[in-house]
Amino acid sequence: MKSAATIFLAAFLALSASWAAFVLAPQLQLGREPQAKATGTDNLYPVARPGLAKQGAEVYRSLGCVYCHSQQVGQEGVKCEVILTEAGTNASVTLAALAKLNTELGQPQTLAALPKVLMPVADVPTAVPIIKAIAAVGAKAEARVTPVGADISRGWGLRRSVAQDYAYDSPVQPGTRRFGPDLANVGLTKPDVNWHLRHLYAPATEIKGSTMPPYRFLFEKHKRGAKPSPDALQFADEPGFEIVPTDDARALAAYLVSLRADAPLVEAPFTAPTPAAPSTNAPVATNRVASLPYTASELLKLPESSK
Amino acid sequence: MTATSPIPQQHIDCSCRLPLFALFGGAAVWLALSSVFGLVASLKFHAPAMFANCACLSYGRAFPASQLLLVYGFCIPAGLGVGLWLLARLGRVELAKPFLITLGAKLWHLGVLTGFIAILAGENTGHEWLEMPRYASVILFLGFLLMAVWAFVTHTRRSEPALYPSQWFILAALFWFPWIFSSATLLLQCFPVRGMTQAAVAWWFAGNLLNVWLPLVGLAATFYFLPKLAERPLQSHYLALFVFLTLIVAGTSTGIPAGAALPAWMPALSGGAKLLMLVPALALAAVVVLTLRGSTAPCGGGPLCFTKFGAWSLVIATVLLALTACPAISRVTDFTWFSHGRNALVLYGFFAMTMFAAMYFILPRLAGEGSVCPHRVRAQFWLSMLGTLLFAFSLVIGGVLQGLKLVNPAIPFLDVAKSSLMPFRISTLGEALLLVGNLLFLFNVGFALATYYRARCRRVFTDATATLEPAGVKS
Amino acid sequence: MNAEPKTCSATTEADPVSETTTVPMWLITLALVLLFLGAWVFDLRGGWFEPKVYGPYTSVADAGRFQPPPPDGPDVKRGKVLFEQNCALCHGNDGMGKPNQAPPLAGSEWVLATGVNRLIRIPLVGLNGPIKVNGQDWNLQMAAMGAQYSDDQLSDLLSYIRSAWGNKASPVTPEQVKKVRDDLKGRSQAYTVDELMKLPE
Repeated sequence: MKSAATIFLAAFLALSASWAAFVLAPQLQLGREPQAKATGTDNLYPVARPGLAKQGAEVYRSLGCVYCHSQQVGQEGVKCEVILTEAGTNASVTLAALAKLNTELGQPQTLAALPKVLMPVADVPTAVPIIKAIAAVGAKAEARVTPVGADISRGWGLRRSVAQDYAYDSPVQPGTRRFGPDLANVGLTKPDVNWHLRHLYAPATEIKGSTMPPYRFLFEKHKRGAKPSPDALQFADEPGFEIVPTDDARALAAYLVSLRADAPLVEAPFTAPTPAAPSTNAPVATNRVASLPYTASELLKLPESSK
Repeated sequence: MTATSPIPQQHIDCSCRLPLFALFGGAAVWLALSSVFGLVASLKFHAPAMFANCACLSYGRAFPASQLLLVYGFCIPAGLGVGLWLLARLGRVELAKPFLITLGAKLWHLGVLTGFIAILAGENTGHEWLEMPRYASVILFLGFLLMAVWAFVTHTRRSEPALYPSQWFILAALFWFPWIFSSATLLLQCFPVRGMTQAAVAWWFAGNLLNVWLPLVGLAATFYFLPKLAERPLQSHYLALFVFLTLIVAGTSTGIPAGAALPAWMPALSGGAKLLMLVPALALAAVVVLTLRGSTAPCGGGPLCFTKFGAWSLVIATVLLALTACPAISRVTDFTWFSHGRNALVLYGFFAMTMFAAMYFILPRLAGEGSVCPHRVRAQFWLSMLGTLLFAFSLVIGGVLQGLKLVNPAIPFLDVAKSSLMPFRISTLGEALLLVGNLLFLFNVGFALATYYRARCRRVFTDATATLEPAGVKS
Repeated sequence: MNAEPKTCSATTEADPVSETTTVPMWLITLALVLLFLGAWVFDLRGGWFEPKVYGPYTSVADAGRFQPPPPDGPDVKRGKVLFEQNCALCHGNDGMGKPNQAPPLAGSEWVLATGVNRLIRIPLVGLNGPIKVNGQDWNLQMAAMGAQYSDDQLSDLLSYIRSAWGNKASPVTPEQVKKVRDDLKGRSQAYTVDELMKLPE
C-alpha cells in the first residue's frame, strides 16, 4: 500500500464485485420478471393491488409498520403425502390394495376407518405409481405437497415468500423484525376490514394482551349525534361516542386485507386447497364478490375517499 | 512543502479547527437528540398507549428518526471530522480549503435536519438505514462530496509520502460512501427498481454501511490512537493491511439476511461472506493484543479506555455476525432483537466509543488546554460503557431467547412477544444511561467550544482595548 | 499524556509508528479454511445462481420433484396451442372453417365420429377431393399437416378439436394415434373420402 491509487484499486475491486452480485444481478434476474401463472391454473400472479390498498401501502410505509412487522414467510422443508379423495365402491378390493401399498395402515376393516392421509412419500414422482394403483381399484387419491416450518405452523403463510410476491410493491417492505406477527398473509387469516379498523384503534379489544400500540390518530372521535355516521365503529367502553376511521385508516385496512401470497408457483410449490383459491392480491371486499368489476351505480354509493 | 521544512503541527491543527468544530458540534447535538428519540421509541414497548394520539411519536417514526440521527447525524460527521484530522496530521499538511469543508459540514447537517423532520412527518422511504427522502439524500450527498473532495486534495498535497495504515482506511471510506449511497439513492428513490430488487439493494447498502464503512473509519482512528495512547508501536503494518483487505472483501457482501425472500444464492453468498468476517475480527483482536502488550500507559477512563472498549466491541460484534452465517443459528436469531443488539454494539460500543476517544484527544488541541475536563470524560466513559453493555447485550441475549421461542410454533406468538419484554426493560435502562452519557458528551463538546470562543472573544476584546487606549491618550 | 499541549501548541507530537512483523500463519490458514467452508456451504444450498431456486430447495430439479403431476391422458391445453399455431390459419380459431380454405371442425360429423380411426388418418397423410361437412359440399386439398407431430402431440391436438367450440366427443389417446401411424407406414398419398369410407370407423 504505497499510494492512494493502490488503495482505490483494492476498494474498487472489492466493491464492484459485491455491486455486481447484489445490485446488478438481482436487477437482471428479478427486475424484469413477468407475471407468472399460478401452478395448474391460468391465473396470472401477482396482480396489482387495488387503488385503496395502494394508498394503504403508503400509510403503512409512512407509519413505519415495517419496524415491527415482517412480510416474509420462511420455510424449512416440504412434505409430500398421498391422500385419499374417494374411497370407491368396492370396499374389500380397495382395502386389500391399500394394505398391500402401505403395510403400516394395518388392516382397517371398513372404508370409514381409513385415514385420509394414506402415506408419506418422498416426492411427487414417487406418489404417481401409488395413485395409479389406487385408481386401478376404483378409488381416487392425489399427492398433496405441504411446505413445513415454524412460520407456516403459526399460520403465517401456505408457503415461503418469493420475490414474485412483491413484484408490484414499491417500496417493498419485507421487514427484518417480528416484534409483531408476520403480515405476509394477514389478508388470508383476517379478511375482515372492520376487524382491522377496530384492531388499529384499540388492539387489546381484538387480541387480549396485545403489545401493539393503539393508532388512535387514524380515527376521529365524535359525540354521537342524532344521525350516526355510517362508518362509525362501536366500542362498549366508549358509550355516547362514535369512532370514525379516517381515509388513512380505511386505506391501511384495505392494504392489510390485500396481503395474501397464496398462489402455488414453480419456485415454491404446494397443493392449493380445493377448490383452488383465487390467487390474487385483491382484497376480499366485504359484502361483494371480489372479482366482479364495480358498476357506476355501485361506485356512487361508496364514500368519496375509497373509490 | 518539502520534507526539509515541515509545516509546524500547530498550523495543521489550526487549519482543522473550523470544519472540525462544525462537524463535532453538530454530531454531539444529533447524538443527544437521537438518544431522546431512542428512549421514546423504547418506552412504547412498556406503555403502548403512550402518545397514541400523536403520529410523529409513534414507534414507526420515533425509531427511524433516532436511527437516522445516530448514523447520519452522529457517526458519519464525527467519523469524517476525525478522518480529516488524521489525513492532515499524518500527511503533515494543512487541510485544503477549510472553508469549503465547513460548508460541506453545514450542508450535511442541513440534510440530516431535513431528513429528520421528513421522517417525523411521515416521509420515510420505507428502506431501513436509508429512511430520509430523496431531497434530503441529495443535500447529504452534496455535503459529503464537498468534504470528501477536499479531504482527498489534502491527502495528495501531503508532505509525508509514506502512508500509515489509518490513511488507507480513510481513503477507502471516502471512496466507498459516495458509491454505495448514490447507487442506493438512485435505484431506490430516483429510478426505483422493481419488487424485491429494492430490498436487495437496500440490504446491500445497509451491510456496506454497517459492516464496512463504519469499521473502516473507526479502525482508522483505532489504529492511530491505540498505539499513540498506549505509547507502543502498532503491531503491525502487515496485520493492519490484512485486516483492511479481508474487511473490504468480506464485509461488502454481508448484507442479505438468511431468511430473505430472494433466490437461494443471495443469502447463501452473504452467509459465506459473514463467515469470512471471522478473519478480520480475529486479526483485529491480534492487533489489539499485540499492540497493548507491555504497554504501561494508564487507562483511567480516558481516551485509551474508550479506544480499547471500542476495538473489543467490534471484535465481539463481528464474531456475532460470523456466527449468524450458520443456518442453525440464523434460523433462531433472524427477525429478533438480536440484530438490533448487534447493531447497537457496532454503533455505540465500537464506533461512538472510538469517536469519543478521538474527539477527546483532538478537542484540547483545537480549543486549548483545559477545554476538556478529564473528570467529566471519565464520568462519560463509565456511563456510555455501562449503557452500551446493558443496551446491546440485553438485546442480543433477549433476541436469542425470543428466537428460540419463535421457532417453536407450540408457543403462541403473544407469549413470545411478552416474554421478550424483560430483556427489553434492561435495554431501556441501558438507553437511559446512554442518554445521560450523551448529554454529558454534548456538554463536554459544548464546553470545549465555549472555552475556545470565550478565549478568542477575550483576545479580540483585549486587542481592541489595547489599540483604543493609546488613541485616547493621544487626544 | 499528562502534559496536554496548549492551543495549537508549538510542541510537535510524534505520530505512532507501525512494526513490520508479518501476519501470523494461523490467521492465513484460518482464512483459507473459512473460504473453503463458505464455498462448500454455498455449493450445498446456494442453487448456483439460479433465479428460480429458493430455500429449502437446492436446485431446479429439487423443486421440480414437488410440482403437481401432469394430468393423465391427452392435454387439451397443449392441443389448443398446437391448433392455433398450425391449423387455425385455415380452419379458424373458432373452428368454423373458411370459405375456399378449409371446412369447419365445429360440429363436423368427421370430427365427432364415435370411432377415431378415420379422423386420425386425415392429418397424417392429408385429404383430397370432395367432402361433405355439416351438409355443405367442399372440394379442397389438405396436406399431411400432422405427420410432423409425435403421437402425444397429435392426440392432444385431436382431443382439443373434439372438445372445443361445443364439440363433445371422447379424447384421442396416444395409443390410438400410434396404431394408425403404424398402419399407414410407407403411405404418403393423401386419402380421398371414398377410401376413408371403406375403412371401419
